[in-house]
Amino acid sequence: MKVSSISPGGISLVKHLFWMLFAAITVSASGQSIDWKTELKKADGKTLRIIMIQDPWVKAFDTIDQDFQKLTGASVVVDSYSYDDLHEKEVLMGNSKSDSYDIIVLDSPWVGEFQQGGYVENLKPYLEKDSKILQWDDFVATFRQVADWKGSIVGIPFGAYFVLFNYRTDLFKEAGLNPPKTIDDLKNAAKTFTKNSKFPGVFGIGMNNQRGSAVGQAYFEYIFNFGGKPFASMYPGSSDPYADMTPELTSPESIAVVQFFKDLIQYEPPGALNMAWDQRANAFATGPLSMACLWSVREPILSDPTRSKVDGKFGTSVFPSNNGKSVPPLGGWVMGINNVSKQKDLAWDYIKWFTSQETHKKFVLLGGPPSRISTMQDPDVLKKSPWIQTVYESQSQTFADCRPRIPESFQIIDKVGLHVSEALQGQVSIQDAMKQANDEIGALLKKAGYKVSDTP
Amino acid sequence: MVIPRTKRRPAKLDGTGSFTGATVRLGSLFRHPATPFLLPAVVYLFALTIYPFLYSVVAGFLNFSLTNPRPPTFAGLANYRSLFSDDLFLAAMLNTGLITVASVVIEFVIGFSMAHLFIAISDLRGSQLLRTIYILPMMVTPVVVGLLWSYILDPLFGIMNYLLGLVGVAPQPWFSDANTALWSVVFVNVWQWSPFLMLICTAALVSIPRDLYEAARIDGARWFQTVIRIELPLIRNTVLIGIIFRVIDNFRMFDIIFATTRGGPGRATEVVSLYAYRQIFQYFNAGYGAATAVVVFLIAMIIGTIAAKLLQREVYHA
Repeated sequence: MKVSSISPGGISLVKHLFWMLFAAITVSASGQSIDWKTELKKADGKTLRIIMIQDPWVKAFDTIDQDFQKLTGASVVVDSYSYDDLHEKEVLMGNSKSDSYDIIVLDSPWVGEFQQGGYVENLKPYLEKDSKILQWDDFVATFRQVADWKGSIVGIPFGAYFVLFNYRTDLFKEAGLNPPKTIDDLKNAAKTFTKNSKFPGVFGIGMNNQRGSAVGQAYFEYIFNFGGKPFASMYPGSSDPYADMTPELTSPESIAVVQFFKDLIQYEPPGALNMAWDQRANAFATGPLSMACLWSVREPILSDPTRSKVDGKFGTSVFPSNNGKSVPPLGGWVMGINNVSKQKDLAWDYIKWFTSQETHKKFVLLGGPPSRISTMQDPDVLKKSPWIQTVYESQSQTFADCRPRIPESFQIIDKVGLHVSEALQGQVSIQDAMKQANDEIGALLKKAGYKVSDTP
Repeated sequence: MVIPRTKRRPAKLDGTGSFTGATVRLGSLFRHPATPFLLPAVVYLFALTIYPFLYSVVAGFLNFSLTNPRPPTFAGLANYRSLFSDDLFLAAMLNTGLITVASVVIEFVIGFSMAHLFIAISDLRGSQLLRTIYILPMMVTPVVVGLLWSYILDPLFGIMNYLLGLVGVAPQPWFSDANTALWSVVFVNVWQWSPFLMLICTAALVSIPRDLYEAARIDGARWFQTVIRIELPLIRNTVLIGIIFRVIDNFRMFDIIFATTRGGPGRATEVVSLYAYRQIFQYFNAGYGAATAVVVFLIAMIIGTIAAKLLQREVYHA
C-alpha cells in the first residue's frame, strides 16, 4: 500500500533515520530495562477480569496475556461486547456498584460520564508513582487529554483510533489524480469515478449516512474540517471546550457539512442512506469504492489479502479539510480501574505492564492500534503496517474534544444523527433539520446544567 | 347457542383448608397449609412482575438518570408531558400502528390461503415436509431474521436486487429509503410470521364439519360465498386468538428493526419499543424511559382488554 507522506515531498531520509534511532534509544532506555519480575507483585491463583470492546484486535490479548500470567501467576479473562452493549453493560455495572470486572475499557466520549458517575478510579496517583515506567509523555498528546477529565485520569490510553483518508492508488493513477487534500478535491474525485465508463462498477465514495450514531458521528468528524464548531466553546485550541455549550448547528459551516453529505449521495453506491461503519469498510475492501474515510482500526483488514480485494492497491493520507487545517477525527480506548474492584493493585499492575512501551509494541505488531509516539515511529511497526505513518502525521493535528466527552454525548450524537438523516432523505430541508437539532440539544444541555445562551 | 352468564362469588380460603365463602384473616392465611405451596409463586410474581411494574410507575414521575450520581427528584407529570410533545414518540406510535395493521392483515390473508393450499394437498406425498419448511422462519430468532434479510436486501451486494436485475427490474433501495423502509420491514415480518396464522387457520378450518361444505355446494354457493358465509364465521374465534398474539407481538417489535434500520432512515421505521430502548439503555434516562414503558403498557392493556371482550362476546354468542 502507498502512504502519501513517503512519496516525494514527505519526510526526508535523514528525518526517517533520526526517528528510527530515537525509537531504538527510547526502547532500550526504558522498555527493555524494566525488570517486570520485581516490578509486578505475585498474584498466584487470582483472576483479573476485563470488560472490552469487540474489535478486531481483541484476539491479541490472548497471546499477550500469557506473558502476564507467567510474570504474576494471575490469569486474565477478557469479555468483549459490541459497542452499544458494552456501553450499556458498563453503565449498569457502575450504577449498581458491581465488581464483576476489575478493568473497564472506555471509549473517549464516555470519559466524562464515567468520571462524573464515580464508576472509575482516578489513576493520577498511580501514574505519578510509576511515571518512569509509563513514560506518559510518549502517548499521543491529545489522547492524554482525552483520558483526563477535570484533573482525574480516567484511564490509560492503549487503543487510539484516527480517521484516515483511504483511496485506491490504482484508480487514482489511472485517472491522473492526487489524493484529495481539500473537501473540493474530494468532491471532484468522487465525481470523476462515478458512472465513468473508464471505471465500470466503481463509485466515488462511501459515507456513514445511517440514521443515529453513524451519521451523527460523521457530522462531528467533518464540522471542524469545515472551519465550524458544534458548540460555542468547542473548537481546536479552546481553553475550555465546555465553558459555553450553546449549540451552533445552524451556522453556515454546519449547514455546509450537511449539504456536503447530501451532495455526495449521487456519487455513492445504492443503499448509501443506510450505510454505516461496517458496510462502508466492506464496500471499500471489496472494490466498488474509490475512496472512504475509515477509522484506522480497519486498516489491518484492508491489508489482509484473505479479507480484502484491495490489498496493495490502496493508500492512506490525512483527513481532508476545507480550510487547510485538517482536524483528523480522534477516538479510541482507555483502560480504567473499576472504582469498587477488590483487586485494584493487580489491575494497575496489568495496566502499567500492558501499556508500557515494550508490551504496547507487541500489541501493535499483533494488530493493535498504536497509541504511543515511539511505537508509531518504530521501524518494525512501520515495516509491517506502513499506514501507521499517516497515523503519526494525523496525531499532531487532532482535537481531544472532536466528539463531546460529557454524559450527554451519546444523546447529542444520536439527535444530530436523526435530524441529519431526515435532511439527507429530503423529508425536511437542511435548515429546518439543523434548527430542530439545535433547539433539542440546546434544551437538553440547559436542563443538564450547562451554560447555554438563548439563540435569537 | 347462548351461554348464560351467572354471577359467581369468588372462592376464599378458610382455616380448614377448604374453599368456602368465609372471610379470611391475614393471620389465618399464614397458618393455612396451602400457603407454603403458594408462596414461591407469589414471591415470583411479586419480584418479577408486580415490583418492576410499580417501580416503573414511580420512576415515570421522577427526574432519574442512571449516569447522574445525584439522587432522583420528583418531576410530576413532566416526563409524560415531554413524551406526548415529542414528535419522534408520536411518529413511533404511528409507525407501530401501521406496521401492526399492515402485517396482521397480510399475514392473515397469506396464512388463510396457505392453510387452504396445505389442506388441499394434504393427501400428496411430501406435503407435510412442505408445511414444515414453510413454518421454519417462525422458529428463527427475529434478530437473525433481520440480519439475514439485511444481507438479502442489501442494495449493493444483496441477492434480491441481483435477481430483479435478471428480469430487468431496477435495483430497489429497500431499507435505505424512507418510502420503502417501512414496507420492507412489514415484508420481513410477514415472511416470518404468516406461517403462525397458517397453523391457526389450518387447525380452525379442519374442525369445520364437512356437511356444511356439502350443503353449500348443493345450494350452488361459489367459493367466495363459502369463505365469507361458512369459513370466516366459524374460524373467527380461533383466529382472533392468533391475531391478538400477533397484535401484541407487533406492538413490541424490536429485533427486526434494530438489525435492519435502527429506526431510520430519518424516523421512517421508528417504533415505540426502539424509542423506549433508546431512552433507557442508550441515554440512560430511566425516568423518561419508564414513562414511555408505562404508556406502552397501558396501550397494550387497552388493546388486550378490547380483544378479550370481543372474544368473550363471540364465545357467548357462538
